[in-house]
Amino acid sequence: MKALRLLRWSGSVLSPRTRPCLVHLLQQPLSNRRFLSAAASPLQQAIQYQDQEHDAEEDLWGSSQAHKGDDPVIPEDMPQSLQQEARLRALPSPPLSAAKSSAKLAALHARLSFSPRLPIETLARCLVDATADSNPDFNNTSLAILGRDLYSFYTSEAILCRYPRLPTAVVFAAMAAYIGPKTLTQITKEWGVELVAEPGGEVDPGYLQCRREDSMLIRKHSPDSDTDPTSAVEEGQPPIAGANRPNAEQKSWRRGVSSMTVYDDEFGDLVKGSARGGRSKAATTTVEDACARFVQAVMGAVYLHRGKNAAKLFFKEHILSRHLNVGKMFEFKQPTRDLSRLCAREGFESPVARILSETGRATRHPVFVVGVFAGREKLGEGAGSSLNEARIRAAVGALKGWYLYSPLEVRVPSDVEGANARPWKPVLVDIGEIIV
Amino acid sequence: MTLKALQAASTSRNGVGAFILQCKRLDFHYCDWAGSSQGMNLFLQHNLARFAASHPSIEIHVSPRPHRHPVIRGHFINGTQHSICVRNLEKGQVLQKAEILRDMSGEKARKVKGGRAVGSLNEGTRGVWSPFHGAKPPSFQG
Repeated sequence: MKALRLLRWSGSVLSPRTRPCLVHLLQQPLSNRRFLSAAASPLQQAIQYQDQEHDAEEDLWGSSQAHKGDDPVIPEDMPQSLQQEARLRALPSPPLSAAKSSAKLAALHARLSFSPRLPIETLARCLVDATADSNPDFNNTSLAILGRDLYSFYTSEAILCRYPRLPTAVVFAAMAAYIGPKTLTQITKEWGVELVAEPGGEVDPGYLQCRREDSMLIRKHSPDSDTDPTSAVEEGQPPIAGANRPNAEQKSWRRGVSSMTVYDDEFGDLVKGSARGGRSKAATTTVEDACARFVQAVMGAVYLHRGKNAAKLFFKEHILSRHLNVGKMFEFKQPTRDLSRLCAREGFESPVARILSETGRATRHPVFVVGVFAGREKLGEGAGSSLNEARIRAAVGALKGWYLYSPLEVRVPSDVEGANARPWKPVLVDIGEIIV
Repeated sequence: MTLKALQAASTSRNGVGAFILQCKRLDFHYCDWAGSSQGMNLFLQHNLARFAASHPSIEIHVSPRPHRHPVIRGHFINGTQHSICVRNLEKGQVLQKAEILRDMSGEKARKVKGGRAVGSLNEGTRGVWSPFHGAKPPSFQG
């Protein structure tokens, strides 16, 4: 299979961008938009930003009543340095040119062992959350969408090929354990990334720029705060959990595990969004969500700039190398019943529990070792302080032995991509967990 | 549903995949006037550029601290800080102290008990010894 070159599609990341790119501005004639190069000085950029902002406002809403009461009108008699600072403060996120001179950002770039072919400006963009800068040309939303899909693709193929018989509920939990927001927050900390107290143009671009829920300045700076500072969602509609589901309004309906694979996200959780299916646009975010989007955006950036092999290597080094004991993620309700159903389905003899050894039956601390047998085959073994406990443990051991089967050589479908890859051999596809 | 899954989070094993140096920032504080900073000042003039270039993942700050002894302060990924006072040291000794901070994990110094310096998250391949398995001991004769 040939590798696709994504350079053409990734123009929005790799080429210089304009500010502001409010969505409605895209419909304006091009004469209104000024293109910035990545090399523009912060001052220049700030000035251009200001000009555009004002142009746009005049075009759209008339002059001053428009937008953000605190948009600074910088007096001409102010000293140069103060003027520049005021202009930087007016930006929602640090200008592109600040990325080159940030020690924090350069250290992060080196810490993740990125090659110089991944520009530091892109890394800076990965650190700008949509709640800090609502402009999609300057925040990490598009990169995060790409990175999230890549993470879920690579993680799901790794889990399914390594444990082909894993029950769906455990697959969801394992996905969340590898690439869930909790883990990605942990990864953000382990990369040494800190969060800003409050985002703005004057902040060092090496910090993760997002506006948190406890922010005191929502009313003052938020891009969506013109009408109602507390409105978290565009057009005033509350986010609906399970927006992808056909009957999203039915809160009490049962969600089967199979339907989760179709309608819900990669962790089996309800997709939150507006009624039309789009994601809601929030003014603030939680730390977990902002960190998750950052780590996802980094993956997207690696994929766009360095290609598929580098992205896979990055995934292996930072996600798959983490430790997860999948055997500890099971919770059985009635393991003995499950085991007999499994034996019936697979055509084994029905399981029988037998004592293998025991000690101290008449004392306070007896120990029984019980094995579960199907015919002459021992399926599992467990020790407990009562016969029943040992029998249940033995059944759990037998079920885990079945579900945690792992082939000796694990290959995943994405290994086949590339010029000189070995041809794909089909892997085991299990018929699924037992149904009781 | 017959089976539930318990939520968990994977834990990092630094160095198994990517390795991330735990020292993320070093602050060098010096004094232009006092004699105890002489070695530190020579270090800043002659050695620091090479040290910084060979450790790009460490953010380096240099700032004066007038009328005080020179100090190197390390900031670590886990959020802790450690400082080493380098008064009256030669520039080579200052470099050694900076390397100590570079190699630290940022954790509190603690005694390694039982001689087990390295812990593993993986299960042993031989399993845990059990008294209920294996050969029975020969019965006591007479």
